[in-house]
Amino acid sequence: MASLLQPDRVVYLVRGEKRIRAPLSQLYFCRYCSELRSLECVSHEVDSHYCPSCLENMPSAEAKLKKNRCANCFDCPCCMHTLSTRATNIPAPLPDDPTKTAMKKAYYLACGFCRWTSRDVGMADKSVASGGWQEPENPHTQRINKLVEYYQQLAHREKQERDRKKLARRRQCMPLAFSQHTIHVVEKYGLGTRLQRQRSGAPISSLAGLSLKEGEDQKEITIEPAQALEEVEPLPEDCYTRPISLPEVTTLRQRLLQPDFQPAGASQLHPRHKHLLMKRSLRCRKCEHNLSKPEFNPTSIKFKIQLVAESQVLLTLTNPVENITHVSLAACEEDDPDDINSTAKVIVPSKELVLAGKDAAAEYDELAEPQDFQDDPDVVAFRKSNKIGFFIKVIPQKEEDADVTVSFKIRHDFRNLAAPVRPSEEGADNPTEAIWLTHHVELRLGPLAP
Amino acid sequence: MSDANKQIMAQKSAKIAAGAVVCVESEIRGDVTIGARTVVHPKARIIAEAGPIIIGEGNLIEEQALIINSYPENIMPDTEGVEPKTMTIGTNNVFEVGCVSQALKIGDNNVIESKADLGRNVILTSGCIIGACCQINTCEVVPENTVVYGSNCIRRVQSEKPQPQTLQLDFLMKILPNYHHLKKTVKGGGTPVRN
Repeated sequence: MASLLQPDRVVYLVRGEKRIRAPLSQLYFCRYCSELRSLECVSHEVDSHYCPSCLENMPSAEAKLKKNRCANCFDCPCCMHTLSTRATNIPAPLPDDPTKTAMKKAYYLACGFCRWTSRDVGMADKSVASGGWQEPENPHTQRINKLVEYYQQLAHREKQERDRKKLARRRQCMPLAFSQHTIHVVEKYGLGTRLQRQRSGAPISSLAGLSLKEGEDQKEITIEPAQALEEVEPLPEDCYTRPISLPEVTTLRQRLLQPDFQPAGASQLHPRHKHLLMKRSLRCRKCEHNLSKPEFNPTSIKFKIQLVAESQVLLTLTNPVENITHVSLAACEEDDPDDINSTAKVIVPSKELVLAGKDAAAEYDELAEPQDFQDDPDVVAFRKSNKIGFFIKVIPQKEEDADVTVSFKIRHDFRNLAAPVRPSEEGADNPTEAIWLTHHVELRLGPLAP
Repeated sequence: MSDANKQIMAQKSAKIAAGAVVCVESEIRGDVTIGARTVVHPKARIIAEAGPIIIGEGNLIEEQALIINSYPENIMPDTEGVEPKTMTIGTNNVFEVGCVSQALKIGDNNVIESKADLGRNVILTSGCIIGACCQINTCEVVPENTVVYGSNCIRRVQSEKPQPQTLQLDFLMKILPNYHHLKKTVKGGGTPVRN
């Protein structure tokens, strides 16, 4: 099936803000707007945070406090795999009787992939299985916290001034007066809510995301400016002559995963808590309806709402919906602005094709009536339940084409079963009307035979 | 069975020390010496084509592992003057499922993980761990306590050698005879062992 193993063979054109060509398996279909949507024309929202190894859910506030890291799980600083806790028996003196030794359990962290252990960096074995491991403290934490407080207060003050100005002038002022500095601060403290991201690329129109509350006590916080030192610590004398022992040097990736310390030596690589992953929900930007909403439980991979294009839009050969669908194909015009990729001309059957609906029970029902569609044998190659195979003629334009691409338009009728049923005054007369959708499809057929 | 033309002086059969557990379903061809407390799982293959193989004690050779002392690729088997080289394997090594080892010298306490591939010119010292699916076909001596891992076969040095699998060996030596026939132990030359 083209959709599973070779997804790029058949691409559909999405007419959003940008024109994106993507296979149907990566597209969504908004049934309120009746249009295809790709990942770039929807807004992404964070649904929930969870740890990928212990699958523990974490509310967003707690996640923000813990810097999006899990409390229980650790990452190997060497290969970024998940660390597992191993136990050894060590003889330890009993607390009652120092002369006798009993076997006590000592726990250490070990990586199953690269065989790193916590003993490599000198971390002592702990006597509790979990909760005993601490991340090293960042020596600059205090200064950073103070700076953050100061800038939060500054931004809050500026926001109050703007609000005052806004009320005084009584008009919506665009944030042209924002200095570079303020925008930078807002982006740092902004929460990234929908209010701020109404359109991709639009400037943030309000300081809505600040965490400082309105009525809070406004103490003056002063910070000392950073001091530049004239004397820098000199390099060690044998810096150029000492032979490098490669196992001791950390790789850039290992170093940058710990931006607080960036250790240069492998013996200072301490494990860090595991990053949380998040589940996101997608929302159509035009009609603000949800296209994809996952389940809250991290162990469940199902969706509460899942409007993927494959289950709504016609595939080239298979009809995913349950009604009879009429499909007509049309070749692209000469100067079609969408038609940029095709390297061959295509002659599509001019008649309308009829596809039977998807009937899940039909496989098991042996006494089902055979479908009697009058099929023109020149057009239709085979027909099976809701699938149809049809012929198209391809005329390659170039002699030695490495990848023959054809594009054409598919036009089919779509019944929107989810549209709200309006109370119709004419009576219950055809509540679901068919609308005709046109998609621009490109097919990559592969190289020409020599 | 190996050809008598090539290995006139060497033993033609496998010498299995007492205390080793070698299942009948394993394939052992050529002059192979297996030390005590070594466990060879069924479907393991130890083939001594181009020379004898001497396996030490306490080794664990799992299913579908292939330990082969074969001719280098550019030398035909019939060339005269090619001395048979002995392949030596030390103690407490683990050859996990599906690995291929052609290395001529392997020390002690090494672990060759699943589907790893060792070339003929590699010499493993002690405590090395060759990760799963890693291929080492360079001509080098791998230093002690080296771990080779990852799809790019990156290396690092670990601080201690891997633990010997004594628990596993004891368990297997108890359980395997319950389900498999074992090859008879042979000390010194003489009686051929049935495969």
